[in-house]
Amino acid sequence: MSLDVVSRPPADVPQGGTVAPEARADDVLAAARGASWPGASAEKHFLRYGMMPHMLCPGCGHGIVLDAMLRALARRYETLDDVAFVAGIGCSSRVVGYVDACTLHTTHGRPLTFATGLKLARPDLEVVVVTGDGDGLSIGGNHLIHAARRNIDLTCVLFNNEIYGMTGGQLAPTTIPGAYTSTSPKGNHEQPFDAARLVEAAGGTFVARAQSFRTRDFEEIFLRALEHKGFSFVEVMTDCTEYFGRTNRLGNGADLLFSQARADVAIEADLAGRPTLQEVPARPVRPVMEMGVLHESRRQTLEEAMGLVEAGS
Amino acid sequence: MTRVNGSNGKVPARTPPARLESGNLVVVGVGGQGVILASNLVSQVLLDAGYDVKKSEVHGMSQRGGTVVSHVRFGPEVHSVMVEPGSADWIVAFEWEEGLRSLSYLKPNGVALVSTERRIPPAAMLDHRDQSLEYPALGEVPFGVLALDTFAVAGDAAAAVPAVAQTVLLGALSVLLPFPVEAWQASINAWVPRKALTGNLRAFERGRALAPEVRAAEAAARTVARTVEPGPEVVPSASASPVEHDGAKRSRDGVAERLLPVVRIERSWCKGCDICVAMCPEKCLVLDELDVAVFARPERCTGCQLCALLCPDLAMDVLWVPADDLTGWLFANEEDRVRAAADPR
Ligand SMILES: Cc1ncc(C[n+]2csc(CCOP(=O)(O)OP(=O)(O)O)c2C)c(N)n1
Ligand code: SF4
Ligand code: SF4
Ligand code: SF4
Ligand SMILES: [Mg+2]
Repeated sequence: MSLDVVSRPPADVPQGGTVAPEARADDVLAAARGASWPGASAEKHFLRYGMMPHMLCPGCGHGIVLDAMLRALARRYETLDDVAFVAGIGCSSRVVGYVDACTLHTTHGRPLTFATGLKLARPDLEVVVVTGDGDGLSIGGNHLIHAARRNIDLTCVLFNNEIYGMTGGQLAPTTIPGAYTSTSPKGNHEQPFDAARLVEAAGGTFVARAQSFRTRDFEEIFLRALEHKGFSFVEVMTDCTEYFGRTNRLGNGADLLFSQARADVAIEADLAGRPTLQEVPARPVRPVMEMGVLHESRRQTLEEAMGLVEAGS
Repeated sequence: MTRVNGSNGKVPARTPPARLESGNLVVVGVGGQGVILASNLVSQVLLDAGYDVKKSEVHGMSQRGGTVVSHVRFGPEVHSVMVEPGSADWIVAFEWEEGLRSLSYLKPNGVALVSTERRIPPAAMLDHRDQSLEYPALGEVPFGVLALDTFAVAGDAAAAVPAVAQTVLLGALSVLLPFPVEAWQASINAWVPRKALTGNLRAFERGRALAPEVRAAEAAARTVARTVEPGPEVVPSASASPVEHDGAKRSRDGVAERLLPVVRIERSWCKGCDICVAMCPEKCLVLDELDVAVFARPERCTGCQLCALLCPDLAMDVLWVPADDLTGWLFANEEDRVRAAADPR
């Protein structure tokens, strides 16, 4: 076992002087688990090494989002002892199992309800909810709007891959028109939810949308969501390579990432005429969506109203 | 051969050696800046001093502001015309980004004289609407670089012909080479068109008057410890690295080490999704016969981190390792590869 492993913040984080040469306790733990490597970036120390590699399919965008979340957390926290991750059921929800924080893997659609209870019992914890588009918008849709209405101080990240990945690629309330899924063999005829605007309308005080492709942007947005007091909601567009990508013949993980780049307002002007991936008219068109922080405001949180935390802090 | 001190009577502490055995110079810039002329001019001085000199140029897109590079090598007898990466004693760069891009040619204790002039290539434009750019900030001056605002130094010498400003860099370079000022003036006389001659001679003089700064940069490059080095700290573990390390300090015999990027791939986590292979702008990565990513072309890696940022399996890290240890690190990766092939579990 090597104790020479020294964690190092990512290159872009300002470093005060030099890195302390002593190994941190969790480095020692990570080394003891036998899977850390010299020079591994800081966020890797927040992983449960014994659980890796994770169970997601090759190219699944959820892993990119997980890495970005850990990078943001590594910029904000030394350890994850006071951070709780709460998730429902789904491939997206599954990622909390790889984070070496306090984690709750709960029932389908109910991570926000568990998280509400946890936050009211322990307002000192940073509570992050990880949910999917099926988990958070179908079965858990009601819990989402009510958490937003209450403005409880949680940070909810919804991994939107436009499909139910875990159960075999069924239609989700976010599936784009025309897309093929195992339950829409003739293409989807329904209109999808705009999850971010839904949460804003329901009273969420920090609402943002990001992409796994622009992973640095998501990292910044997630960091801002963590800092926000009140219900913070970040919808992050990711790709299910195994079902959404394959069923719609959209190519591999890299192709799907490029298709995200095309469905981005930043390049709207150039690509408005040809926003489809691979230019096949019969394939679904990824709509151009607004990205970034879409709404930010301040109002009394549930904990403040209940006198659990000092107001205005 | 006469020895040269500062031309203005301010005699610096260390004077250049009477005779250099040999040397490597890289001159870079973009089309229209006079890179080729400058390297001709230096070569003339070297030829007149009795050296064997070889010079090569690359200037494909120079007419449209593309990169222009010239290598100048001298010694008793020179065979190859190319300066190898990591072996240039001096770099003279007429453009900021081109200068930074060429730093891989510099010796660990070499000196780069880099103009802060910015000629922004179209490809650096990230967003045409808000005009955002991907271009290195002027504030961050890497180790071994002396950043010179050539226009400010040249002043009115460059008023008539702006390109003349870069001759300041040759004046600064002349401080580091043991040739008399007359030799440089003769070469300028021989190569520069009449109309720009006085401007060039004055700009050269102003560059040469920067002797204290240039000498200080040279001295720093020889001695300064790693706190001013480029790139983040790397503390390799004793098991994976062929050299011993002592925590935060990473300088050998007081000589700062240049760091190069290495992509570390955790083979047991990689699922061969091909994302890193498709995304790497430099095409450094390939999938091997087991569909596992391999860092196949380390020499092209810029350390941009794109691969590591987009790897869905968190299997990659970009490390900065000392240039001399590079082979050791790559070998460490290679060992993993061999082990994995032997035990495909
Ligand atoms: C009460 C209940 N109903 C249905 C299921 C089956 N189920 C498991 S995951 C899932 C959908 C997950 O979709 P999403 O949240 O989008 O996650 P993804 O896998 O796409 O990341 C469903 C319907 C279940 N586990 N529990
Ligand atoms: S089924 Fe889809 S969402 Fe689930 S792990 Fe595979 S690619 Fe990811
Ligand atoms: S760091 Fe950048 S250049 Fe190097 S391998 Fe990764 S993507 Fe390629
Ligand atoms: S992106 Fe990661 S998982 Fe995919 S091939 Fe590269 S190293 Fe392997
Ligand atoms: Mg989903």
